[in-house]
Amino acid sequence: MKPAILNLFRSRSILALAILLPATARKADAAVSRGLNQLFDSVVCIDVREVNYEEGSRRFEASIGSGVVLSEDGLILTNAHVASPKAVEINVTLANLEHVGAKLVGWDHWTDLALLRLDMDDVRRRGLKFSHAEFGDSSKLYTGETVFAVGTPYGLKRTVTRGIISNTSRYFEDDRGVDGYETGAFNTWLQTDAAINPGNSGGPLVTEDGRVVGITSRAYLGANNLGFAIPANVARQMVSGLVRDGSITRSYIGIVPSPLQDLEKFYSLALDTGMLIASVDPGSPAARAGLQGGDILLAVNHRAVDARFPEQIPAIQNFIASQPVGSAVTLTVKDGLATRDLSVVTERLESSVGEDCVLDAWGLSVRKVSRAYARENELADDSGVLVIGVRPGYPADVAGLQSGDIITRINRQPLGTLDVIKGIHAAYSSKPNPILVEAQRDRRVALYIIKP
Amino acid sequence: MLAALALFMAAGPQARSADLPSLWAARVKCVVAVEYTVETESERRSMFDYGTVVDSNGTIILPSGSVEANLPPEQLKDFKIYLPGEPAVWHGTYLGQDAFTGWHFIRAEEKLRPRLVPVTAFAARGAAPVPAIGEEVWGIGLRTKEEDFLPYLLKSELALIQSLPERTGTALQEVSGPGLPVFNRDGVLVGLALESGSQQFVEYTQMNRGGETVLLVDVEESSLFELADEALPNLGRIPASISGRPLAWLGADGLEPMDRDVANFLNLSGQSGAVVSEVLGDSPAEKAGMKGHDIIIAIDGRPLPRFRPDRVVADYIEKEIRRRRPGDLMKLTVLRGPDRIQLSAQLKDAPKLVREARREYFDGLGFTAREFVYGDAIARRLKPGGRPGVVVHFVKPNSPAAIAGLQPDDWIREIDGAPVATFAAAVEKLRAIGADPLRTECVLLVSHGGDTAVLRLKLR
Repeated sequence: MKPAILNLFRSRSILALAILLPATARKADAAVSRGLNQLFDSVVCIDVREVNYEEGSRRFEASIGSGVVLSEDGLILTNAHVASPKAVEINVTLANLEHVGAKLVGWDHWTDLALLRLDMDDVRRRGLKFSHAEFGDSSKLYTGETVFAVGTPYGLKRTVTRGIISNTSRYFEDDRGVDGYETGAFNTWLQTDAAINPGNSGGPLVTEDGRVVGITSRAYLGANNLGFAIPANVARQMVSGLVRDGSITRSYIGIVPSPLQDLEKFYSLALDTGMLIASVDPGSPAARAGLQGGDILLAVNHRAVDARFPEQIPAIQNFIASQPVGSAVTLTVKDGLATRDLSVVTERLESSVGEDCVLDAWGLSVRKVSRAYARENELADDSGVLVIGVRPGYPADVAGLQSGDIITRINRQPLGTLDVIKGIHAAYSSKPNPILVEAQRDRRVALYIIKP
Repeated sequence: MLAALALFMAAGPQARSADLPSLWAARVKCVVAVEYTVETESERRSMFDYGTVVDSNGTIILPSGSVEANLPPEQLKDFKIYLPGEPAVWHGTYLGQDAFTGWHFIRAEEKLRPRLVPVTAFAARGAAPVPAIGEEVWGIGLRTKEEDFLPYLLKSELALIQSLPERTGTALQEVSGPGLPVFNRDGVLVGLALESGSQQFVEYTQMNRGGETVLLVDVEESSLFELADEALPNLGRIPASISGRPLAWLGADGLEPMDRDVANFLNLSGQSGAVVSEVLGDSPAEKAGMKGHDIIIAIDGRPLPRFRPDRVVADYIEKEIRRRRPGDLMKLTVLRGPDRIQLSAQLKDAPKLVREARREYFDGLGFTAREFVYGDAIARRLKPGGRPGVVVHFVKPNSPAAIAGLQPDDWIREIDGAPVATFAAAVEKLRAIGADPLRTECVLLVSHGGDTAVLRLKLR
């Protein structure tokens, strides 16, 4: 069971909902720390225009989020659901309200983080000034500690709200949490009651001295102040990886974990030992090594694991993910009464969401079937493309193709990469001839003709 | 007025013989209402259907959809027969379902038989007449049990004849109760009304690929009928056993029709073809060398006819298989890429069906387990054969099983930590657990969809 609906906080429309309050002058209750003041000057508003291929045509969407400048050379940390590789234009509003362009440096939906770089030539040319923030140690946070959320909710510049840390290790994993991409498997989240609204996404959660302890990313919509942030210690690690490679490389073995609470007796296990393997992805390294749903994972590389509670799962997942890709990992597994060591060679972790493109002349949006998608959906292999949208009345729609169909062959040619279908589409665009499409829906294979 | 008179005169000889009241009185004796009980773990339901008497031994046929598919015959009980307009209860015996027509056969008790007239008494000698468009057709409707199944007249005119793939007449409005005969003006049998035939019609005409089926018609009456020349030769197909076996089986699954554009592209204009989505493991199709994505274009050298709508071709192939017997050779021509390939498949008796799976209800636990059969392996994309385990068939609401989260179709892999080896072993173990008064819990490892879950049933 997935947790109740979690809404990502990026405002797609700015609601001008201002309530007028009497403007009587009041003395501040307490002085704001110097660190906090400096932090305010590092928080930016991010306007993103991104391209979307989902309806069988190319569409642009605008959205707003927040971000925090991390360095003098203009690195900005925000959420992956604010700025993704689909962004075609990123505009940053600095704390002094000046606008400057930015480019995406790297992106990691698993932790919902993205890194941008300001157009520093422009910054220098115009002599623009900004401050940058420092990370704090998120492992030292305690429940009840005062924190501030800083950001630009609904585009309202420099909005500061105050609250406390409500929980230091909240667990939720979401298969489609970041614009349809997986998130939350490898880290727990900070929970706060500081008010978080659409547009706060990507802004910093800071302690009273102005140090960044988290990146605000989501909240329960309709609840009262149940907000969540990625811990700074996770973010710091991701930043160095994203600066270096533009992406984060993780290892994958293909197990779906589950907590062991209340089942220890049944499995004759001591308390606080092991993790239940709920299922194993078909065809994955773990499946090939003979692991099965219902097995208990006792140790990874001889390091004991303990997932009695769900909150303990991300650390174990992250430990496996942080092994080098292609390395052999030793899993100690209890299966019935026997305990055995298995060697599993890791693969590179992939999202189940492949690359998208739109084939305009057909009114067809497709997405490459990834290895992960093929396994989840028990497809024979990962060749083929998934239909993610058809434009009403266009040739693909007229032929009868629908979202969810998997196109396996075109003109009897298998589709190994997106380039194959793009090539056929390009040929069709210049000289339209009928095209034979073989597609699969659930387990049924049917033929369609795309024609002018 | 004159014109009408002239027409009447022209139809003179027929008109004289068409004395509807007397035709009605004779023909109402070949129809009955049938009540039976479906007895499941948790409930008993009464079901009502209409039947047509087909011979002098008291054999009655019910239309194919009149019994829910997948119900094991032992859950069908207390077949009762009512004559139209009479409250008396007569008894019947269920004989099984014919694989080819889908009809269910029952047999009336001896005492009732003299009062029944087989529908064949009203069939034409020689070829059955095919009504013309616009010709009058009539049949019999039966009211509800509360009204003693009083018979009433339904009358209409033929509007259309199609092959679906059975030759099917569509009348302007409802013409008979589903499963009951349709006659022409002379009282000669011209068809058998299709039950859910009305639904079938809607399905064929209103269902898009993947679309929802919409039921727009009164299921107590039907405006569709299978033509007599097609139905009559099958009236004698009384199942040899209650299981309906033998069931000829090819194992080419997910037959998908093709539209005109595709057929023309493949140079199949004037005929039709069907894509085989999947070739099932250990099946005659697999042994014959058929591959998934092959396109069947001919059976025994005869190209597949073109149907309107196109999707009827899948049913046509299914019927071609079911009209044969296990052991028969079926020659298939398939298109694989640009090549035409000749295959020869020797049909087999179908593997054990879900409705034939052994099953047992465990009252203390609150669920029914059934044997893991071939179809279960296919549904789970496993190689058939040698798969242990049992499948959950029914979960009683609020029982320990239901509270633990057990669901129908869950595949039980382990019971109390030990793998399930066979159905018999699982039954023995579950029986022992249910009978043990000191037991407080039972742990099941189950697969549901792709996930595995450990469920704890709290007992007592």
